[in-house]
Amino acid sequence: MRGFDWFVLAASLVFIVAYGVWKGRRNRDLQGYILGDHSMRWYTVAFSIMATQASAITFLSTPGQAYVDGMRFVQFYFGLPLAMIVLCVTAVPLYRKLKVYTAYEFLERRFDVRVRSLAAFLFLVQRGLACGLTIYAPAVVLSVLLGWNLYVTNLVIGVLVIIYTASGGTKAVSHTNFWQMVIILGGMVTTLVIALSLLPDHVSFLDAVHVAGNMGRLNAIDFSFDLQNRYSFWSGLIGGFFLALSYFGTDQSQVGRYLSGQSVAQSRLGLIFNGLIKVPMQFVILFIGAMVFVFHQFHETPIYFNPVETHRVEASPLAGEFRELQAEYDALSRAKTAEIESFLAARRAGDAVAQEAAAARIDQVHASALEVRGQAKEIVRQVNPRSDGNDVNYIFLSFVLGYLPVGVVGLVLAMIFAASMSSTASELNALSSTTIVDFYKRFVRGAKSDRHLVVVSKIATVIWGCLAILFAEYANKLGSLVEAVNILGSIFYGTILGIFLLAFYFKRVQGTAVFIGAVVGEAAVVFCYTSTDISFLWYNVVGCLVTIGVAVLTAVVGGRGGRPQPRAITS
Amino acid sequence: MNHLDPTGDETPPPFGGSWRTLYIVVIVNLALLVALFYAFTKVFS
Repeated sequence: MRGFDWFVLAASLVFIVAYGVWKGRRNRDLQGYILGDHSMRWYTVAFSIMATQASAITFLSTPGQAYVDGMRFVQFYFGLPLAMIVLCVTAVPLYRKLKVYTAYEFLERRFDVRVRSLAAFLFLVQRGLACGLTIYAPAVVLSVLLGWNLYVTNLVIGVLVIIYTASGGTKAVSHTNFWQMVIILGGMVTTLVIALSLLPDHVSFLDAVHVAGNMGRLNAIDFSFDLQNRYSFWSGLIGGFFLALSYFGTDQSQVGRYLSGQSVAQSRLGLIFNGLIKVPMQFVILFIGAMVFVFHQFHETPIYFNPVETHRVEASPLAGEFRELQAEYDALSRAKTAEIESFLAARRAGDAVAQEAAAARIDQVHASALEVRGQAKEIVRQVNPRSDGNDVNYIFLSFVLGYLPVGVVGLVLAMIFAASMSSTASELNALSSTTIVDFYKRFVRGAKSDRHLVVVSKIATVIWGCLAILFAEYANKLGSLVEAVNILGSIFYGTILGIFLLAFYFKRVQGTAVFIGAVVGEAAVVFCYTSTDISFLWYNVVGCLVTIGVAVLTAVVGGRGGRPQPRAITS
Repeated sequence: MNHLDPTGDETPPPFGGSWRTLYIVVIVNLALLVALFYAFTKVFS
């Protein structure tokens, strides 16, 4: 990193923090602090929703995913637009009509205080831990590739976010999210344009796309129905629909974003815009990864992208074997480049037979190269048993640091910081809102003026921020990051989704039955996690179905399983 | 029985005519993207 990169990065961070503090300077009551006085226009709502969902690991990991596995990950988002429509029709007008501050407040109106408190508690535990990972994930990649101190990087990200989130509340979060998303989109487009310009002069854009496609990196759609296949059209459409419904409909870090809209119409438009843009945006991020893959077909490529693990191997007794593998990998890469040149020459000449023959040879050499890379990964795992041999998160940033021009490196790092800070800010804002509205304001007795509630909300934000930083400092003992985040979410999301689905669609089931169902559902998930080999993605299904099943059964056996009628919601 | 009626605000959108039209736009957009990605996968594989 050179001076101008540091300048771009520092200027972006200072702008974001200063802008957030300035935009949130006039919060006098809880409605202003938590709901942003319902002042956000639809485009701010939309960008805030997108910036909250897109964490730094999205931009570090997704291009790397396309590099090693192609673009099929884009299918994961196919259910999201449909979920946006369902939320526009149901959740948005309902939450707005009830004038709730948090999604869990609605559960007390629908059921009782126990269900509300349980759902809010599950959210606080899950999101409180996930917030630490949101800070830690980019910090660990930046520290490995740039040699930055991990603990200091965690601290810088966390403290910057706390400053503007605590001082400005939702207004600061939403307005900074908007500009963070602008930085993110600007960084993405710039990276794509430069990545294409770095291809050899004789390789056109169309050539690059043909090479990527021929080598299996443009596999965006797979219509086969296979439950073992993690990313197919059907798993994305159906599984992704439920996941998006749960995340956007019940997670306060997202609910808080669209509740800040000026009106139901503005909130709906924000969600609709997200439904229109999210899939193409993910496609572009993956396409950048595919183009980085093509770039590496014409340039020297490390056999393993995590330099810290590589240095560790080089200092071990297995260093000689690792160097031999790198030499073999280099030779195969050169052979592959030659075959790709033959492939392109045949394509330009319109010689289909020669093109097919070259494609077959490319496949053969590429398979050999992958085998050698697999052996290198095995050595990494032998030298450091704690490593999972997965370097996906390091591929994109290695490319950025190694090949992008001065200034753009700073912009991409600003993009990664912006993504991390936007997600963290929304999470802290949601954690504070839920703590104050669903617990402090609800259970602590005594007169609570708006001014007092704003002050305790700010204190809660700072406390949650400090806890997140503390958790981030210890997160390196967790192993694989993305998996840790997903496992954590899967342990709680199913039960919370089950509670909300009961609220929306099972009108005969009441509080006690839902509470029992939720406790049994969560116990079932914990049992699956501690005592079975069931893949964590199924925890969502188990938690949701057990919660609903037990609640309905309790209601049937116990006569609606509830207290007397809670107060009517309609006014 | 609680009455959970989400249809409290039917203010039309500032553009697009009606919410139904915008929802259809989202679905058609998704269908077009899937078709485009499918063609992309087939043509370049």
